[in-house]
Amino acid sequence: MKKIKAILENFDTEYVEDYKKIWIKAKLQSSDALLAVAKAVQDEGLRSLSTVSPTDFPDRETIELNYFFEDLQTKRNLWLKCDIPRELEKCEIASLTPLFPGAEWHEREAYSMFGVKFLNHPDLRPIIVSEDFIGKTPFRRDFDWEQHEEDVAKNVQAIVDAFKDEQATNEVNLDPESSETVLNWGPTHPASGPIRLRVHCDGEEIISIDPDIGYVWRALESLVTKKDFVGAIVAVERLCFMDNINSMVGYCMAVEEIAGTEITEFAKWMRVILGEVARISSHFMGLGGFFMNLGLHTLFMWNLGTREFFLDFLESYSGARIATASIEPGGVRYGLDMTMFDELQKALDQFDNTVDDIEMIFVNNPTMKVRAKDVGVLSADEVEDYALCGIVARASGVKTDIRIDEPYAAYDQVDMDYVTRSNGAAADRFKVLFGELKQSVDIIKQAKKRIEEGVASGEFNPTKDHMVKVPKKLPAGEALSRVEWARGEVLMHLVTEEKAKSPYRLKLKAPSFNHTMMLNKLLEGQTLSDIPLVFGSLYVCQGDLDR
Amino acid sequence: MLRILDFFDYAKSESLWMAHFCTGCCSLEMAAAMGPRYDWERYGYMPTPTPRQADILMITGLVSKKILPALLRTYAQMPEPKYVVALGACSFDGGPYNDSLAVIKNPTEILPADVFIAGCPPKPEAIIEGLEQVKQKMKDKIPSAASQGGLWKEMEY
Repeated sequence: MKKIKAILENFDTEYVEDYKKIWIKAKLQSSDALLAVAKAVQDEGLRSLSTVSPTDFPDRETIELNYFFEDLQTKRNLWLKCDIPRELEKCEIASLTPLFPGAEWHEREAYSMFGVKFLNHPDLRPIIVSEDFIGKTPFRRDFDWEQHEEDVAKNVQAIVDAFKDEQATNEVNLDPESSETVLNWGPTHPASGPIRLRVHCDGEEIISIDPDIGYVWRALESLVTKKDFVGAIVAVERLCFMDNINSMVGYCMAVEEIAGTEITEFAKWMRVILGEVARISSHFMGLGGFFMNLGLHTLFMWNLGTREFFLDFLESYSGARIATASIEPGGVRYGLDMTMFDELQKALDQFDNTVDDIEMIFVNNPTMKVRAKDVGVLSADEVEDYALCGIVARASGVKTDIRIDEPYAAYDQVDMDYVTRSNGAAADRFKVLFGELKQSVDIIKQAKKRIEEGVASGEFNPTKDHMVKVPKKLPAGEALSRVEWARGEVLMHLVTEEKAKSPYRLKLKAPSFNHTMMLNKLLEGQTLSDIPLVFGSLYVCQGDLDR
Repeated sequence: MLRILDFFDYAKSESLWMAHFCTGCCSLEMAAAMGPRYDWERYGYMPTPTPRQADILMITGLVSKKILPALLRTYAQMPEPKYVVALGACSFDGGPYNDSLAVIKNPTEILPADVFIAGCPPKPEAIIEGLEQVKQKMKDKIPSAASQGGLWKEMEY
């Protein structure tokens, strides 16, 4: 940490301060120095650029850019800010993509949403937004959505026209003599979900892949600013339904930090239990999806069967199977009736009954081993350069897990270790996923025991301890929170105004964005039949890809 | 007396296949309805990868602007008779995304649905119950809503 501070001393900064335990927060005087600072901290070992988050301040005539640099090895992080002018012509800054290849899509996103131009970016095209928003700046505070949406039919027509143009030019641009063609994989492919991959291929062999995303773009980051602090959890949890709890935990942590609220020990443990249940239900879908993309539905069906028992627990706790909205700023929404743990125990028993069969038949499956052991290989260096996270990073041997690196809720008291493998192939990602399933069940058992002991000794009052009051109006401030989501790191950057009732800006960095970026690299030179396998092994959800 | 044409309606209604097309989050509960606990195949439902073999198009939750043309194109590719089932709050009025202007808020005005299934997301039991209503509509020879009208007829996709 001292070394990073020493580096920052060489540049003109407004301030350099410690933030939380493993972060340094600094603001540059001028955006010209950004490239030099980035180069220096990269040499120091902060090789991953998690995301780029612009915040729009119309009254100050500036756009504030936030860069989040991470070192996955030594767990030192830097939060770097700088201001750039807001006028569209002057809204420019040096691109960091040549240094940090993982920033490519994040800079494209900032360009599409805020109109920030990144100089020397290799491929600065709009991303996520549909054609009718191209050239506009939808996430700026003064963007007039109502006016834009007055004629929806015209906007849809723009999308249709763009698609037809693209299909027409595809055929013109390709050499008619060759066997090259451009295939659309999705958005209606059964294994793809709402994403379209433009696969440029020569016969069976893939030349390049250009993902076309934004099919489930709901503009969540703009949606939360229209809701109050509690109402915003509904938008945040819809980041992805498969693991909705942990994204709410991240958001609530940020709100609590700004409000200065400390939640109770009981609520912390409840967040662990609920979070792990959601993680299990997501991992079950991921495991099943991996084999389903290979064409085998049996595991998916088995997993759905066991997953139902975990959803039963969520239903008994919150009344809803999936959209629970059960984490709220200040704790967890409902008290705990101890009989709900009977449902949880049933789920754990069911898991113990089936886990050996799954391991024997699918995890140690000889066909899968042969098919997936050399496909989609990611090295540990690539993981760091592209800021990958979650199971994808751990399958390549990178020890990163926010639950251990920067513990939140009650994870500092949980006994757990990184689940890693070293080869980084598709098969390894599948095995890490399975390993984490077992790990999550172990964590649930620990947390359940702790709560039961606490209730028995009178330390916890399960019907009263679940919430502390958080004021409806928050002071001006900003907070950064990270959680280990089912798919990896979710980073949230929340900005509030004085006496605000709703968030001023919430940046959601979700893992699938980086992982989808890797598809081109992983599949270049492979055959078409590898697309579902690699895509399935990256454990991508379109919900958090588009947001 | 059972007429031959009635028999065909009966046969069609008892093996409803749906185009495997996910537009939003409700497809997660659709997957759960396929699973062993609810097992909708008992009732003759099945997802099929190609719209050419499908009888039902499900609007699974939100419809973003970008996916609307793909949804309409999938519907157009399906053979008659074809029915539309709308899942969840989003497909009615945008649901939780009602304030978000990146989402189509009247998908069922564009492509009218025969059955609405309420919930966010609807439970698997509700989905199966809704599909049973489609069955009944087919048996009663009620023409599908989308064939009667809707903005989709005037749109290009």
